[in-house]
Amino acid sequence: MIELKQVTKQYGQAAVLKNITLSIDAPGIYCLLGRNGAGKTTLLKSIAGYQNITSGTIQVDGKPIATSTLDPGVSYIENFAKHFNLPVRKLLRIASQVNPDYDVAFASDMMERFELDGKKKFNHLSLGMKTMVSTIICLASSKEVILLDEPVLGFDAIMRVEFYDMLAESFQKHPRIIIVSTHIIEEIAKTIQKLIVLDKGSIRFFDTLQSVEAKAFGVSGLQKDVEAATRGLHIIGREAVGGLVTCYIFDTPPAPAASLEICPLSLQDFFIQMVGHKGGAAR
Amino acid sequence: MKATFAVVKRLLASNKLSYILTAIVVLCATSSGDVVLSNGNYTWLLAVLTPFFFVCYDFTKLMHLGASKKDYFIGCLISYGILSFGISLVNTAIHLLIDPIDPTRTVINLMDVCRWTENGIIAAGFQQMFFLLLVMVFLHVLLSMQPHWYGWLTDAVIAAVICIFTPIAPLRGILSGFFRLIMLNSNAIAHIGICLLLSAVLALGGLAVLKRKTL
Repeated sequence: MIELKQVTKQYGQAAVLKNITLSIDAPGIYCLLGRNGAGKTTLLKSIAGYQNITSGTIQVDGKPIATSTLDPGVSYIENFAKHFNLPVRKLLRIASQVNPDYDVAFASDMMERFELDGKKKFNHLSLGMKTMVSTIICLASSKEVILLDEPVLGFDAIMRVEFYDMLAESFQKHPRIIIVSTHIIEEIAKTIQKLIVLDKGSIRFFDTLQSVEAKAFGVSGLQKDVEAATRGLHIIGREAVGGLVTCYIFDTPPAPAASLEICPLSLQDFFIQMVGHKGGAAR
Repeated sequence: MKATFAVVKRLLASNKLSYILTAIVVLCATSSGDVVLSNGNYTWLLAVLTPFFFVCYDFTKLMHLGASKKDYFIGCLISYGILSFGISLVNTAIHLLIDPIDPTRTVINLMDVCRWTENGIIAAGFQQMFFLLLVMVFLHVLLSMQPHWYGWLTDAVIAAVICIFTPIAPLRGILSGFFRLIMLNSNAIAHIGICLLLSAVLALGGLAVLKRKTL
């Protein structure tokens, strides 16, 4: 279980995380979405105890987390993690030795599936393969909280599909909290249970994908019709082209009408509307 | 403990460059004249080089492999213990077997200079081992502090102490007294005790620094 209470992280005067309160108590695959600089890496590193927060508390399974936690029980991997320049097979073997209860069978299986050359040294691998090695090490650990920071960076389309399968298999084998930060939203949608949207250091959304499917809609039509239909609803974005207006809502959709077009939002569109920016400017 | 020993194994294995550099210096160093330095003295180079690799190279990589800070900390201490034993063993062997080969030359070994051999060769070996352990733990802590302001402050304090204490006679006495205590000490039990005590204090300081270390 991960519990964040009023977590703030400041670098000088700049607040990267702003008063975040979040509780993740059920095992599942959680997707952390946010624009560049939203604070995703800072949040994940703070949960892993890789850096300290300025104020607030973080607990994992009831244990307070900070850099002073000598064994936080969290496995975190960043996309450009550096490893010893050793053959992949040896690297995975060392990982199995330094991690108690490491899943050797899973790591070997994944190594074969991704056609990783066990004899090849880590520095000689491509960026995608390096990331894959780091991800396998992280997922094969027995830790109850797994944090993957942009794991699909450098993966081709086939590797990404394989990665999502690996994630699902790992979770089925060992249910636990897995948080994946990514920018490739639609692809991961089939794999995840819950979505966390982080925007400018604050949690904007934390709920299931089902709630997005049930409540995220775009309502288009003439301005007066759209305004009448969406009055009192939770509007997350708005666009106007000529006389036509589209309101993006996260609420119970209005009753269908001939003058209105009501379409469910894709996860990506929902995310774009939630973070409320387009081309860098707030709407 | 399995994880800790895996960390020890990795720390020692990834220290190859230190072994090679030390071996090259020990094997290739030459002296001329009637009074020469023992090549065994250069084995101490390993004690100076090792903490650089443990702190600057191994820490991040071990963390990324999933090792805990606890295993890293204990692993470093065990590795320093093993290495200080190894260095001491090699230097003592050189002192006993190689230094006396040419009886026409006077060979100076630091074990003699530090007056450890006055207590017999076995005690001298142990004195050397615990002194080197102290050196390695001290360097480890000092290097770990470098990314922080207090690391730079410690550097400045050490430099200031050496610069100020050396030219002023009464202060020089304190400084030399300290070195007599930790290095030029002919009382084996007192020497080993002081080295162990200081190593333990420094290790605790190192633990405090490690607890603040970010990735």
